[in-house]
Amino acid sequence: MDIFEKNRANELFAKVIVLALLAAVAVLGQAPTKGWAQRTPDGQPDLEGYWSNVTITPLERPAELAGKAFFTEQELAEREKRAEIPRSAEQIAGTIAHYDFHQYGLDMTQTKHALNLRTSLVTDPADGKIPPLTPEAKKRAAERAAERKKMGPYDGPESRGLGERCIVMAHEGPPMLPPAYNANLQIQQGPGYVAILQEEIHDVRIIPLDGRPHLGPNIRQYLGDSRGHWEGNTLVVDTRNFNDQTNFRGSSENLHVIERFSRIDADTIVYEFTVEDPTTWSRPWTAELPMTKIKGPIYEFACHEGNFDMVNNLTQAREQEKAAGEAAKKK
Amino acid sequence: MRTIFSIAALLLATSPALPHHAFGSEFDANKPLKLRGTVTKWELVNPHSWIRMDVKGPDGTVVNWMIEGGSPNSLFRLGFNKDSLPPGTEIIVEGYQSKDGSNRGVGAKLTFPDGRQLFLGGSAPGANPDDGSKK
Repeated sequence: MDIFEKNRANELFAKVIVLALLAAVAVLGQAPTKGWAQRTPDGQPDLEGYWSNVTITPLERPAELAGKAFFTEQELAEREKRAEIPRSAEQIAGTIAHYDFHQYGLDMTQTKHALNLRTSLVTDPADGKIPPLTPEAKKRAAERAAERKKMGPYDGPESRGLGERCIVMAHEGPPMLPPAYNANLQIQQGPGYVAILQEEIHDVRIIPLDGRPHLGPNIRQYLGDSRGHWEGNTLVVDTRNFNDQTNFRGSSENLHVIERFSRIDADTIVYEFTVEDPTTWSRPWTAELPMTKIKGPIYEFACHEGNFDMVNNLTQAREQEKAAGEAAKKK
Repeated sequence: MRTIFSIAALLLATSPALPHHAFGSEFDANKPLKLRGTVTKWELVNPHSWIRMDVKGPDGTVVNWMIEGGSPNSLFRLGFNKDSLPPGTEIIVEGYQSKDGSNRGVGAKLTFPDGRQLFLGGSAPGANPDDGSKK
């Protein structure tokens, strides 16, 4: 590890506190002196295992915290304490009643997560905000909306979003952001490859490390095309070749993502990503979030097979149309 | 300043756990449900589990309802498995009916007749109907 990397690892660690919530044991101040030295049998820095990327830190810094990049430890402790209060949907302003979150294990009280002193996941720009969309991106958003309107919202499965259709969920990325629940992933390494399985919705990213070029520009994929390499103990993954449907916060198929996975101790990977798309944002931007080690296994998530909601949604739309038709006849 | 921080913290800390699909497209917030009946089948399928239960109406007619619940993966981590809610178990469901008025709804809260919550966390004593103990 060179001095830059060492300083970076120490700086990262200074901003990240890992806490096993259920055991309520804070692991504090165990600053790594040499980073995480463990290697896989074939000599790669070891990122293997089961990880959670659950966080209560918002992607963008809320307006009321403008100018404040970090919480103090006391402020963070207060914030975590509030996050641990069991809540039902009715208690959360602005949400529509659906579940008692606590009952279904969807709140933060039952999920181990890494704490983060940052007030936003976005670290660059320094204001913690995603840069503004370019005029081209705004035009594209309007065109996409117009295209969607050509079809009724419940005309058929194709008029529903990719997530509802169990094709790919928005958080899968890359960049990989936590879904609302089941925010678990598994990293497995073999000679020349790193594979990342995200529990929702069971897609595996297989990332070659042998320096091969990206796929040709005519081959486009929902999760893009990833190539990785090591910079010291950090896994750097470069992803291009997205299709125009994944649409990460308004992006186009020109989206380019660079992810950096740095294991800073037995329990923590600091995951940093930079996204750029000159046809979408006025400048590249970077975010960082910690992943914390969890107990496996990752469960299967056969989304499509159990997706009764698609049938239910379409059925209710047909019923409503029928009722509206009958009401019109009576007039 | 402390108050301002606390309010901000509260807002931050309450990011809602959105389900896989929009609530409003399938269920009707103006049709609250409260059903008491017995489980006939528990389908542990993603992205949502579904409980089928027989509910006896005031006239004695038994109607089978289908109730949406949380993702099986979350429930497994709370200590539940496919045998945790056997057919015949009596439960009370509070939730919302589907928009089309069929015998289908979402179970916001699920309780046993004695008031214990069905899924109140694997860490809560008595949460698991199998053995009544912590997982």
